Amino acid sequence: MNGKLEYWVKVPVGPIHPALEEPEKFIITLDGERIINVDVKLGYNLRGLEWIAMRRNYIQILYLAERICGICSFSHNHTYSRAVEEMAGIEVPERAEYIRVIVGELERIHSHLLNLGVVGHAIGYDTILHLSWLARERVMDILEAIGGNRVNYSVNMIGGVRRDLEEKHVRAILDMIEYYRNEVMPKIEEIFLYDPTVEARLRDAGVIPKRIAIEYSAQGPTARGSGVKKDVRYNEKLSVYPDLGVKPITPKEFTGVVKGDVFDRMVVRVGELWQSMELIERAIDQMPEGKIKAVPKDNTLLFQLKKAEGEGIGRYEAPRGELIHYVMGQKGKDVPAKWKMREPTFPNLFAIARALVGEQVADVPVAIASIDPCLSCTDRVAVIDANTGRKRVLTERDLLRLSIEKTRELNPNVKAKPEVVGVGCPRGGVL
Amino acid sequence: MNVDEFIKIFGERFPEAEVRVSENKMPHPKRRVWVEIGRERFHDAMKFIKELDPKAQFSIIIGIDAGDRLLAKYHMEMFWEEGESLSLVIGTSVPKDDPKLPTVTDIFPSALPYERENQEFLGLFFEGIPDPRRLFLPDDFPEGIYPLRLDETGIKPEMVKNAGHPYKIKKEGSK
Repeated sequence: MNGKLEYWVKVPVGPIHPALEEPEKFIITLDGERIINVDVKLGYNLRGLEWIAMRRNYIQILYLAERICGICSFSHNHTYSRAVEEMAGIEVPERAEYIRVIVGELERIHSHLLNLGVVGHAIGYDTILHLSWLARERVMDILEAIGGNRVNYSVNMIGGVRRDLEEKHVRAILDMIEYYRNEVMPKIEEIFLYDPTVEARLRDAGVIPKRIAIEYSAQGPTARGSGVKKDVRYNEKLSVYPDLGVKPITPKEFTGVVKGDVFDRMVVRVGELWQSMELIERAIDQMPEGKIKAVPKDNTLLFQLKKAEGEGIGRYEAPRGELIHYVMGQKGKDVPAKWKMREPTFPNLFAIARALVGEQVADVPVAIASIDPCLSCTDRVAVIDANTGRKRVLTERDLLRLSIEKTRELNPNVKAKPEVVGVGCPRGGVL
Repeated sequence: MNVDEFIKIFGERFPEAEVRVSENKMPHPKRRVWVEIGRERFHDAMKFIKELDPKAQFSIIIGIDAGDRLLAKYHMEMFWEEGESLSLVIGTSVPKDDPKLPTVTDIFPSALPYERENQEFLGLFFEGIPDPRRLFLPDDFPEGIYPLRLDETGIKPEMVKNAGHPYKIKKEGSK
């Protein structure tokens, strides 16, 4: 305790488990327990998709786009299709747009339920994880029935959708919504809106003020949790969403206050679960009959795209935020000159890195989990003392124990052992 | 502010800029503004956008290798507080032998990660960037190699430095 520098400790968090879709490294500088600087390093799982896509034609890229991420596999190829459609001027049939809305909202339900569980796991309440992931199975079953796969369901096609929604699917979806309304949502609301321990643990953790959210271009629930009324479905007049009455959801409508912390982001996700179910019901009501593809044959479509020239941008509100794809066509070739995408986690990571300054180390897992990447399951953390070079390694178990101990301080009535159960990778394991 | 008003105001201030509007054929047609402007006036144009809407959101920098020139396209979302937002793509281009653009991080701080990304992948450099470190590529990646340039031939054999492999790659014929 002599010099000032002695307090500073650098903590690299990550790069993490190779099974995850997004390993990243947070280098956190600590002053005691308080974070004074956060630096982000990416690229541990860089797959060079833009380079690979230079050798693929438009339809082959569709399947490449789907594999960018297993959680939002529909969102990526939907957005890519929109970009190509805008470039080539393809008109999508109305029924296809409704099917896209329904599948997109089903995907939002499964992604939000997953994230609610991950945040529960990060604060040591594994009951929440098991509850929400059990509920999530139901929507995964529906997606499997529609597309044939639990992930990468390939429903989308340039100029429409590949699979029609049949009577039995509609019945199953309505059953599922009824089950969620009556069985799941009351429990989820009780946990995330009214439970005092969860509130004490999530309130004032990882606060992103509205000004910072706008300055750092935060997206999706991360931005809306800070009171930024921004939703691509609403701002872009996307697809048939204006007919269904979509509005950005902020925590103000539920709790009356907007603080921009983890709690608010969870409130937004709970609100969006309600909203998605409503949108699906309305879309099923209004869905017209008709064809589902603008161009029925892939060969014809490729020929048409070969003649197209220009550029197009596709935007979509993926479960985590705004997704942008850019396509530049070249005449005479069925390969795009350029395909570029940006996913919402990218700006959100820098927003959360800024927001973590001044927070405690125990809040790192839950704050990073709340923007919905997969860093809460950090593999190991090395704590290095800058002066002595002494090194101790915190495993994922240790980091989670810190988090659980904090929960316990807030609520000493919890009877269970302070052991971390269910350690492993919550995101990578299932996929 | 709608698309027509924006084009009028922007055109008066920057008469040399090429402005065009595309409209897609969705059930609810959406008009998108595409602007092409020279490198010299680019920074001023971005400043003007920030003046028009202090809450404009910066989305992405698309860097493209187009033969002898490098293109950079910036997507902005403006007036999102008024309901339907204005989607603007503002583009500029630089010759390949002088690939330099002014940084916009002084106007939009969130542009920094995209500028770092374009510096390492496309060799499109930003003058006055506050943090020029690499973001995606490893620190021991060879200098002067830009993977997304179309004329890029790849890493020369003498540049390969074991690529972080735990075991040394044996030369042919050695034990």
